[in-house]
Amino acid sequence: MSSFDHNPIVAMQGIEKHFGPVIALNGVSFDVRPGECHCLLGDNGAGKSTFIKTMSGVHKPTRGEILFEGKRMDFASPRDAMEAGIATVYQDLAMIPLMSVTRNFWMGREPVRRVGPFNFIDFNHANDVTMEEMRKMGINLRSPDQAVGTLSGGERQTVAIARAVHFGAKVLILDEPTSALGVRQTANVLSTIDKVRKTGIGIVFITHNVRHAMAVGDRFTVLNRGKTLGTAQSGQITPEELQDLMAGGQEMVELEGSLCGTV
Amino acid sequence: MSDAEAAIDERIKETSGLRRALIRPELGAIVGTIAVFAFFIIFAGDSGMFNAQGILNWSTVSAQFMIIAVGACMLMIAGEFDLSVGSMIGFAGMSIALISVTLQWPVWVAILLTFAICIAIGALNGIIVVRTGLPSFIVTLAFLFILRGFTIFFPQLIERRTIIGGISDVAVGDWLAPVFGGKILGGLFVWLADLGLVDVFERGTRAGGPVVDGIPMLIIWALALVAVAHVLLTRTRFGNWVFAAGGDAQAALYVGVPVNRVKILMFMFTAFCACVFATCQVMEFGSAGADRGLLKEFEAIIAVVIGGALLTGGYGSVIGAALGALIFGVVQQGLFFAGVESSLFRVFLGVILLFAVILNTYIRRIITGER
Amino acid sequence: MNTFFKRVAATAVAAVALTGAAQAEGERYVLVSHAPDSDSWWNTIKNGLALAGEQMDVTVEYRNPPTGDLADMARIIEQAAASGPDGIITTLADPDVLSGPIRAAVDAGIDVIIINSGTPDQAREVGALMYVGQPEYDAGYAAGVRAAGDGVSSFLCVNHYISSPSSTERCQGFADGLGIDLGNQMIDSGQDPSEIQNRVMAYLNANPDTDAVLTLGPTSADPTILALEQMGLSGDIYFGTFDLGGDIVQAIRDGVIQWGIDQQPYLQAYLPIVVLTNYHRFGVLPGNNINSGPGFVTADALDLVAELAGEYR
Repeated sequence: MSSFDHNPIVAMQGIEKHFGPVIALNGVSFDVRPGECHCLLGDNGAGKSTFIKTMSGVHKPTRGEILFEGKRMDFASPRDAMEAGIATVYQDLAMIPLMSVTRNFWMGREPVRRVGPFNFIDFNHANDVTMEEMRKMGINLRSPDQAVGTLSGGERQTVAIARAVHFGAKVLILDEPTSALGVRQTANVLSTIDKVRKTGIGIVFITHNVRHAMAVGDRFTVLNRGKTLGTAQSGQITPEELQDLMAGGQEMVELEGSLCGTV
Repeated sequence: MSDAEAAIDERIKETSGLRRALIRPELGAIVGTIAVFAFFIIFAGDSGMFNAQGILNWSTVSAQFMIIAVGACMLMIAGEFDLSVGSMIGFAGMSIALISVTLQWPVWVAILLTFAICIAIGALNGIIVVRTGLPSFIVTLAFLFILRGFTIFFPQLIERRTIIGGISDVAVGDWLAPVFGGKILGGLFVWLADLGLVDVFERGTRAGGPVVDGIPMLIIWALALVAVAHVLLTRTRFGNWVFAAGGDAQAALYVGVPVNRVKILMFMFTAFCACVFATCQVMEFGSAGADRGLLKEFEAIIAVVIGGALLTGGYGSVIGAALGALIFGVVQQGLFFAGVESSLFRVFLGVILLFAVILNTYIRRIITGER
Repeated sequence: MNTFFKRVAATAVAAVALTGAAQAEGERYVLVSHAPDSDSWWNTIKNGLALAGEQMDVTVEYRNPPTGDLADMARIIEQAAASGPDGIITTLADPDVLSGPIRAAVDAGIDVIIINSGTPDQAREVGALMYVGQPEYDAGYAAGVRAAGDGVSSFLCVNHYISSPSSTERCQGFADGLGIDLGNQMIDSGQDPSEIQNRVMAYLNANPDTDAVLTLGPTSADPTILALEQMGLSGDIYFGTFDLGGDIVQAIRDGVIQWGIDQQPYLQAYLPIVVLTNYHRFGVLPGNNINSGPGFVTADALDLVAELAGEYR
C-alpha cells in the first residue's frame, strides 16, 4: 500500500473531551494518510460523533493535540477546519432537498460573473462543473436543475462527497454514509469512496457496520467507551474479531453463536 | 470511471421538454391567473372592468398587494414570517405625516427618515428572531401590536386626531414625493383619449381630459420590486443563500452561508416594502390614518402562498407571488364588477387559496421529490 | 401590449353599448360605506337601500371595505365609478382620502350624494348633489346642551371608531355643549365587546366622579350597558348614546339610558335612492341638504322604535 510511505495528513494524539462531569472521549489516537481509507468503528454511544466534531472543529479537545500535516492546529470553528482541507459529510445535514443539485453543490462558494456593476451566478459554468464532477463519481444527472430531493440517499451522499472533493478537501470525514441505504446504493457509495481514495485524499469512514468497513478499509480503528482499542491493517484482522472489539469483549462471541452468526 | 458505469435508473421516466418547462413553482399561479381572467372576461367582460378605468383600478390594487407580497415572499423563502407588515404600513404613513405636517419638515426628509426608521425596526425584528431563536411568528406578532399602538398613540398625543391630512399641500414642489405619488406617461393617455380609446371627463375642471391620466408610480414600484427581487433570488449568490437559509439553516451554516445576516436582511427588505406601500398610499391620498394597513400582512402571505411558496421556507418564486397578488387584486375588485355580493369575496378567496395550495403542493412534490 | 390594449378598449366600447341598453329598464346605484364588515349598525342602511331599490324599481348595490380601511374604500369608489353606474352614494369619512376619487366620479358624469359622515360644506366641495345625514358636531353639541340642562359636568366618551374624525367630533361637540374641556374624557375602546366593557369599567373605577357616559353607537353602547350593570351603576349614572339598536332601546325602556340620538340611518340610504331616481327620471331635485337627524329617542313613545330597532330604526 503506497499510502504508508506518506506521513499522516491529520494525526490526533491522546484526545480527551469532557462535557462537565461526562467524559465523552478518554484518550483517542487516530491518524489518516493520503490515499487511504481509515475506518473508525464503534457501537452507538462509543463517542463517534464527539470524535468527528472534534476533528472537524466543532468541539475543542479538553486534552491532547491535533497535528495537521505535521503542525499543531487549533481549529476555532468548522470553517477553519474546512479551509485547512478537512471536509465533513454529515449523515443528515449534507444537502437541502428543496434546492437543485447545482445550487447545493456550490452553496456558499457560488461562482460569479460580473455584468456591469452586478455579480450574477455563472450558471453555465456551475452546471457544467456539477455535471462533470458527478459523472466522475459515476452518476449521470438528468439535469443539474433537478432538486436534490429527487435523488436517492446514495446519490445525495455522492453529491456531498463530490462537492468536498471539488473544493480541495485533503481529508474527507464520512459520518455513517451507508447506515440508511439499501444494498445497491451502499455498493455505489463504497465504490465512490474507492474512487476518491485513488485521487490521494485521506478518508475517515465512520460506521458501525463491519462488512461495509471491510469492503473498502485500509486500516481499522475501534472506538469503545471513549477510547481507541488499537488499529489493525487490512488483512490482519477478521470481521469477527472487529465485531468483538466493537462490542467490547467476549460476550459477543457467545451472543453471535446463539444467533447463528448472522449479526 | 467511464460514463457507461453510471447507469441511468430505468425507473425514472424520460420527461419531455415541455413538461419540464411547465413544471415550475409558478405553474399554479399561472394557471390561476388564466382561470381568473377567463372567469371575469366571461362574467364581467361588459361591466367596465376592462375599460381604462377598470384596468387601472384592479392593477393599482394588485400592485399594492405585489409590493408587500415581494417582501413577504423573500422572507418566507428565507424561512421566516413578518406579521407586522400591516402595522408597519400604518406606522410608516403616520410617521411621514407627523414629520412633514406636524413638525413642518420637508417631505423628502420625512420620507427618508421614515424609511430609515422602518428598516431599523425590520432589522430589530430580525435580530431578535435570530438571537433568541424564537419563532418569527411570535416576535413579529409582538411588533404588530407595538407598532399599531404607537400609530394610534402618537397622533392622538400630538394632534388629538388619528387621521392626519394635509400632506398633499406640504408635498407640493417636493422632489421626492412624486417618485411615490406621481403618475407617468400622462401624454400617452391624452393621446389615447384623442383616439377615443380612453373615456374623457364630461364636466368639472378636468372636462375633456382622459379619465385615466397616467400610470401611478405605485405600479412602477411594484413592477420594479418584482423584477429586482426575482433577479436577486434566482441569479445571484445572495439569492442562493436566501433559499439555503430557509431550506435548512443548519446545512447552510455548515458550508459557510451567513444565515443570520441573510435573515436579518430579509426582515429589513420586508420593512422596506411595507414602507414603499405606505409612502405611495400617503402621497396619493394626502393623509395618514391609524387604521391603514389592517390585516395586510395576511393578504401578503396569502398572495405568496397562492404564488407557490412553501410556508416552511426554502422554496418559492417572486414571479409566483406577484401573480398571486394579481389574482388577489383581480378577484377582490372583479367580484364587484361581476355583481357578486361583496361579503362573498371571502368565500371566493378561501376557495382560490385552497385550490392554489393543493395544486402547488402537487407541483412541488413533482419538482422536489418530496413524499 | 398595444394590441392587448386595443382589444381591451374594444371590449370596453362594447360594454358601454350594452350597459347603455340596460339603462332604459332600471337605473343602477352603488352605495359605498366606510364601515367594516363587523359593524352591524349598517344593517339598517342595507335594508333601507334594498327597500328603496325595490320600490323605485332600480338596481342597488352595497359596498364596503372589509376592514374599514379608508384607503381601500377610495379604491372601491374608483371601482364603482369605473363600472359606470347612474349614481354613487357614499360617506365622506376622510375628505383627504376620499375627495379625489369622488370628484373624479363626479367629473366622469356620475351623480354623487354624500351621506352619514362629512359635512354639507365638504359635500358641496367634492361636487356632490347634496348631503343626507346628521352633522356630527352639531348633534354632539345638542346632546351636550341637553345633558348640561340635566346637571352633568363630567363624562366619559366611549369611542369605538377612533380613527374616524367624525367620531371625535361627536365627543368634542358634547364637551363643548357641556361647556367643559374634552381632555382625557374620551377613551379608545376598540371594537371588541369584552374589551370595551373592561375599559369602561376600568375608567369608571379610576374616575368615580364621572357624571355621565356617552357612547357612539351600539358597538360601544351594548358592552357599556353590561359594564354599568356589573358595577351596579345602571340607572345611577347619566347615560346617553348615539344611534339605536335592540339593546339600546331596551335600556332606554329600563331607564338605564336616558336618551338615544337617532340619526335615522334608514333615511340616509332610502332618501338618496328616491332623490336620485326622481332626478334621473324627471329632472327634479330638492333644493337643499337633508338632515336625517338628530332626533332624541327617550322612554316615551318607544314602541314603534322597539319593534323596528336594528331593522329600519
